Amino acid sequence: MGHARIQGYTPGMVDMNTGQISREIFVNETIYQEELEQVFARSWLFVGHESQIPKPGDYFVSCMGEESVLLCRDREERIHVFLNSCRHRGMKVCRYDEGNTPVFTCPYHGWSYATDGQLVGVPFFREAYHGTLDKSKWGLVEVAQLCNYKGTIWATWDASAPPFLEYLGDFKVYLDLSLATWDGQESGTEVLGGIQKWLIPCNWKFPAENFSGDSYHNISHRSVDLVGIGPSGRSRRDLAERQLARRLHVCFPGRGHQTGVYVLPKDQPTPPSYQDSPVVSAYFQQCEAERRRRGGEWGRVTGSPGEIFPNTALHPRQPRTIAVWHPRGPHQTEVWRWYLVDAAAPPEVKDFLRQYYIRYSGPGGLTEQDDMENWNYAHAASRGTIARRYPYTYEQGMGHEVSHFTFDGLHIPGVVLDITDARSSEHNLRNLYRRWAEFMEAESWDALATWRHPAYAGSQNGQSRRG
Amino acid sequence: MSEMVNLMHLTPGSTIGLANGATAEVVSNPLDGVWVYARYLSCPSDVALVGTEEMIFAQDIVEVRATP
Amino acid sequence: MTDGSEAIARLLLKQQIEDFLYHEAELLDERRYEDWLALLAADVRYWMPMRRNVKFGELEREFTRAGQDINWFDEGKDTLTRRVQQILTGVHWAEEPLSRLCHMVSNVQLLHVTPSVMAPVEVTAKCRFLIYRNRVETETDLLVGKREDVLRRVNEQWLIAQRKVILDQNVLLTKNLTFFF
Repeated sequence: MGHARIQGYTPGMVDMNTGQISREIFVNETIYQEELEQVFARSWLFVGHESQIPKPGDYFVSCMGEESVLLCRDREERIHVFLNSCRHRGMKVCRYDEGNTPVFTCPYHGWSYATDGQLVGVPFFREAYHGTLDKSKWGLVEVAQLCNYKGTIWATWDASAPPFLEYLGDFKVYLDLSLATWDGQESGTEVLGGIQKWLIPCNWKFPAENFSGDSYHNISHRSVDLVGIGPSGRSRRDLAERQLARRLHVCFPGRGHQTGVYVLPKDQPTPPSYQDSPVVSAYFQQCEAERRRRGGEWGRVTGSPGEIFPNTALHPRQPRTIAVWHPRGPHQTEVWRWYLVDAAAPPEVKDFLRQYYIRYSGPGGLTEQDDMENWNYAHAASRGTIARRYPYTYEQGMGHEVSHFTFDGLHIPGVVLDITDARSSEHNLRNLYRRWAEFMEAESWDALATWRHPAYAGSQNGQSRRG
Repeated sequence: MSEMVNLMHLTPGSTIGLANGATAEVVSNPLDGVWVYARYLSCPSDVALVGTEEMIFAQDIVEVRATP
Repeated sequence: MTDGSEAIARLLLKQQIEDFLYHEAELLDERRYEDWLALLAADVRYWMPMRRNVKFGELEREFTRAGQDINWFDEGKDTLTRRVQQILTGVHWAEEPLSRLCHMVSNVQLLHVTPSVMAPVEVTAKCRFLIYRNRVETETDLLVGKREDVLRRVNEQWLIAQRKVILDQNVLLTKNLTFFF
């Protein structure tokens, strides 16, 4: 599919040879407008969770990119995602956050749509339209593709985009770390009531790169580590398992997804956690034993922050949360945060975690507050004429990644950079921007789905890849 | 002459009078204040509609004749 | 006791409560955070629900629920103390440099007094707040809403035993909540 492109993005602004990226991509209005077409209109975006819409008629108003969408379940229990805009004259057909309804009715001229998107009510249809309006052509705009992956709902406007599982590729096992229950069952998580929504004054790519695997910014969180807000009352890193594990950055160059992981040595049991709360500690110890038993060797792997291209952030272990960085112009992001718990967890555990989530993440989160301050002023300081001449450096750890990484007999899928001794790398951030640049330059998904090309598959075998 | 009807208050089983002289019984109310789903009880301008059900628009409802 | 003396006692009590709330605002604005913590009961519950846009007739779903849903705050004395300690480390970048704050408190009403206005031990007080925050160069936030407090008299002093903050926003329009309501 061809479309007129505003040529604002210049190849070379993301330079994978030097690891340098131009500040323009964060602050430039023309590039931002192009991003809406090139990136957000063509990617798979996280919309919500099925536990938010359990019954027919349930809906949750969400966002895809800048645009308001309706996530709903129709009378036949099928899930849909529609553009929240009347086909007649554009008015939002729903201005509530969530609820249950048999129809979405526009308050401007009264057009009404069923929960499957069909246009079912047109005032004066017989009289003013003389019965000639073809209602079947004027239903709510529906996403081209939708996927319910273990309860998480993803959607894309692009019919030519690969199906979601193909879009995920081998990153799937890492997304699973966020969605499996604490005792290792494939699904069974649910979303806590209350989706946090707030505005931050920076480009969406600042939080996106941070969650992709910025392991360098612990100094941001120094104050949290000093006072200790973890469930065990010690530092933010309340999970002792991390002291014993290899720490890895993992990315998938063809896809643009990346994450950090911890891998315990073979036969190393997981140390106990949350010891300030005996009930919670016992629960997690029991779950962890079960998770290790079910997972076999893969149970040695736990997740740390990760990002599914372009703007869905995962925090798999603790706190368990999914965030989406919605673009609101180049200089602003609207963050939506979902918090997950096991549906079957006892009330004391859910409540313990709920309170931990509130003080860790979000605008009231002692940790997230300092991230946002840095994103705010990094962005602000990058808007000036002089500042924009000077690129950022993302060269940390270039050349030290490997394609086939194993630890104590366990193969870790993806291109891996071991930061256990290195302390940090920008391997994952380079991956995000490499893929972003590909999206900005590609005319179609033919160019983006490089894994489908035999030449690409060959280049992945047995080589240490640069960048 | 009756006052304007607020559709939010129409309950299933109510009988409504329409602008074209028809009467209908409310079957369900989506509570959007704009439409109700009703079954025609009488329709002088088109007797074929009697017994059929469709969405009735607020501006076409002139009065509430009876409530259950 | 005549009606007159009860009315006077209520008037004096309301003034006392207002004075307390103004003093609390003064401590926060003057950044005397440890003194502020001393105004909180050991079992204090401090929370701020989030708000949803809901259909007419479904207002019971407007607020996120206590103890069940995600809220903006859900704190006890320990976590409020940690928040203060975080600011006092001097390296909490979101509050470094410190914000300039002005807490305005008004519309104070005494909703409930036990056991009586003549010898009050617990008071439920509601008020409105307008918090002005100005930060770094030009960052400015205005947060407006209501507070429902339970104040408890202990050793001739009032302490805050419960605070529910009702902020009149849906999408939070400030980037962080590093300050106290």
